[in-house]
Amino acid sequence: MHVRIPYYGHRVAFLLITGMIVSGGLSAASLAGELLPPEKTIEEVVDHYIQARLVAEKVTPAPQASDPNLIRRLTLDLAGRIPTVAEAQAFAAATEPDKRAKAVDRLLASPDFAYQQRNELDTLLMKSNDGAWRDYLLKACQENRPWDQLFREMLLTRDDDSDKKAALMFLKSRAKDLDELTNDTSKIFFGVSINCAKCHDHPLVLDWHQDHYFGFFSFFQRTYMNKRNQLAERTEGLVKFKTTEGVEKSAKLMFLTGSVIDEPPPPTLTDDEKKAIEKSRKEDEDKKEGPPPPVPTFSPRTRLVELALKVEDNRFFSRSIVNRVWARLMGRGLVMPLDQMHSENPASHPELLDWLTRDLVAHGYDLKRLMRGIVLSQAYSRSSRWDAQESQPHNQLFAVGLTRTLSPRQYSLALLFASRNSKNFPEDFLSPDWANRRKDLENQSQHLANQLEVPSDNFQVGVSEALFFNNNQHVQNDLLNEGGDRLAGVLKTIPDRNEQLKLAFWTVYTRDPEPEEAVAISQFLDARADRLNVAWQQVIWSMLTSSEMRFNH
Amino acid sequence: MKFSRQSNSGLILPTVGRRAFLGTAAAGAAAVAADMTGLDILKHKVLAEELKKQEKHVILLWLAGGASQFETWDPKPGRPTGGPFRAIDTNVSGIRISELMPKLAQRMQHTGIVRSLNTRNADHGGGTTLMETGRPPEGGLDYPDLGAILAHELGRADSQVPDYVSLYTSTEGRHKGGAGFLGSRYAPMFLDKDVMPENIKRLDVVSELDHRERDDLRNLLSQRFARTRHSNTVGSHNSAYQRVRGLMASEKLFDVSQEPQNVRDKYGPTQFAEQCLVARRLVEAGTPFVKVARAWWDSHGQNFETHLELVAELDHVMSTLIDDLKERGLLEKTLIITLGEFGRTPQINPSLGRDHFASAWSASLTGCGIKGGTVFGKTDDDGHKVAEGEVGAPEFYATILEAIGIDHEKHFTYLGSRPIPLTEPGTKPIMPLLS
Repeated sequence: MHVRIPYYGHRVAFLLITGMIVSGGLSAASLAGELLPPEKTIEEVVDHYIQARLVAEKVTPAPQASDPNLIRRLTLDLAGRIPTVAEAQAFAAATEPDKRAKAVDRLLASPDFAYQQRNELDTLLMKSNDGAWRDYLLKACQENRPWDQLFREMLLTRDDDSDKKAALMFLKSRAKDLDELTNDTSKIFFGVSINCAKCHDHPLVLDWHQDHYFGFFSFFQRTYMNKRNQLAERTEGLVKFKTTEGVEKSAKLMFLTGSVIDEPPPPTLTDDEKKAIEKSRKEDEDKKEGPPPPVPTFSPRTRLVELALKVEDNRFFSRSIVNRVWARLMGRGLVMPLDQMHSENPASHPELLDWLTRDLVAHGYDLKRLMRGIVLSQAYSRSSRWDAQESQPHNQLFAVGLTRTLSPRQYSLALLFASRNSKNFPEDFLSPDWANRRKDLENQSQHLANQLEVPSDNFQVGVSEALFFNNNQHVQNDLLNEGGDRLAGVLKTIPDRNEQLKLAFWTVYTRDPEPEEAVAISQFLDARADRLNVAWQQVIWSMLTSSEMRFNH
Repeated sequence: MKFSRQSNSGLILPTVGRRAFLGTAAAGAAAVAADMTGLDILKHKVLAEELKKQEKHVILLWLAGGASQFETWDPKPGRPTGGPFRAIDTNVSGIRISELMPKLAQRMQHTGIVRSLNTRNADHGGGTTLMETGRPPEGGLDYPDLGAILAHELGRADSQVPDYVSLYTSTEGRHKGGAGFLGSRYAPMFLDKDVMPENIKRLDVVSELDHRERDDLRNLLSQRFARTRHSNTVGSHNSAYQRVRGLMASEKLFDVSQEPQNVRDKYGPTQFAEQCLVARRLVEAGTPFVKVARAWWDSHGQNFETHLELVAELDHVMSTLIDDLKERGLLEKTLIITLGEFGRTPQINPSLGRDHFASAWSASLTGCGIKGGTVFGKTDDDGHKVAEGEVGAPEFYATILEAIGIDHEKHFTYLGSRPIPLTEPGTKPIMPLLS
């Protein structure tokens, strides 16, 4: 196969830069072995390094969030929903010193966790509504399969493995466009967009950049889909490309670290033998039925997975997922953007990233463990309010809890919880009954989730979302429904205005109303004394659509 | 070391985003310029540029599936590749176009033709992405399409009309396009079922008063939340809701029955005609970008019958649109583009069709900023290759941007610390087409 650089040819410069390879992106401290000892807890280490930088910058962080605020944040992050009134009030009322760790462990053990984790991983990997894929990923999350295992499954499962074959969706959905497959794999799993920095001014190593890009591309170049929709790999094929000077070169199988795999010399074959092999491969490719073709003796894709996970070469793989998990829970990555993890773009807290990476690898890529540690830190539980006189410190200091846009599924499910009678939810979210109900709610929230945009960096809410919530029948009929199992329905049965307000605020916002809010809502209701039920529906509408509901804060 | 507040207000350009600037300064400046002639705002270069751009509009007539250059802008009568139709003179001497466009032929003084597009991608998906965004795709970067770019450049943060409307009613070749990394603030209002946007009408069960006052209540709750949370994303949530009532009031813009019957008659009864009339109504009300997609030009079989029908409609509707805009004094501020994902092959296949062809094809630019009565570039005698003035999507985009007064070389946004230029460095607009 002959690969040419797209026609903007001479301006192409790939992101890979000398520094990344030389230093491997490890900080000076970790090279010198000065990281905090591995036996410390994740939360201790997070707070140590975050605090150290705050002290160095002379910044006083925001105070810790209130208990109701914290349990809401935790429930959204770990369960993908908001807490019920009873859950939140029980947490606030509890006095044992380890109540937070207990709550976290309860959330991580509940069936909700796998759904939330599945939804988040799907957003990262596929953004797909495919049932088989989503079921595969859900099962993987229920078993808390390690991240390296998921990676292996997505890249190397065979089509005759009925349990895991849906993992191949990652490759299959991209197999038609190997450039996309190359870029997505490097971005999603390794945290680098390898064809990104076209403007990078590094003429001396330009040629060398191409070696890396096409080297990485080479791992996928023999991958294709046969007529049976099975994934296959050719036994040979080299990537050739033209350098910026117009010289034709063959790419080596080269990983991002610069490590190269030498392909064993192919057996000497006559032209006729080669033709016969290709003919039988082609016949198999075109067959409508049959088992998947065998994995070739030398499989570049298998080699890529081995190399990417090898101790000497796994830093891209491990650092990237640490950074992504951190960003999801903390509102921004230790390295930003998430797909620019190269040495010219250092982490805000390099030692912390190194320590967490070492810890993750040492504990078998257990993402649940990593998440647990991060959410137990003081850095995680800071208030998201900044009302001090001084300007708000830069986000990268993590001095304030950062507001995060809810994912479409979190928001839909949160709205579903907020608009229901909170008492209709179980007291015990660990039961198998709840697992079934959660599955139903997940399906129920899908319609709404499909209306919403998946947030990206610097996300801006679009007006179509606001139009939808203003004027769509579904919002009126479902979220504002007055049935007895709904918030609007329960409020009708409560005679006292203050009790009504309190219940509405705890159900929707997990807190008491502020005086300013209570006054405004009371005025709104008083002006509609002749039709209070309708008036309450509108109040609920305004609460559900306000920013406090749209963000994790 | 202190970090600066992550502000979403203020006028110090180097430290705030352009959007913030547009949202406050330019909107304010427009009001000031209107009210206080004593203040010579136009001497302020940046503000003057903003004001200049804000009056500009673009209507993109998207010929989905790929129209034939032979049966439109670059006829080759009498050649083996030419097909059955003749070329006719236009009202600009020396320019001849297909006889299927007699009305546009009489309006050539407003139009510049590009006959030398070589865009190298003759696949529907790839060609569409290329021609909608003006650059080859780059893995890892989701580029916005022309509509989103112009909504970003020309739209006002507090706009009461939609700033990017995309009308598309055929299922074939439907492609939503989108805002890419600019985010859903710049996504199109996409009308694929009806000319009336979804969710733009208040439900009957909610009274007008309740609809308004519940939003006041929502605003109060949101503002209270946002007061202590300094985030542009949080701000964008409230802004989106604040635009709702303005957009709802623009509902009538989508209602062609508001037009006098004689105007509707002029456009004609087809759906494409109606959509173009909506486009004019939107532009008149201040919408910067409207795309009207007409399908399906993909004439692998019966190319000539297909074009006989589709070009005749394009000729009539686009001519009416030109006249209508001109009468309203809008043509000099509105650029009409005809473009598709590619052109069609010189070879006529056994089904009397023409296949996908991206090596030598045509597009047109009419109105704002264009030197009318101009042809740029040339194909060889049979239309196999570009003979003179080869250009690609980037040059075409640079030309569009310059025609409506936007510097094609500037950086329009940043991704992280990476500046994203409107067109790649070194891209040149087609100067002979610019007035």
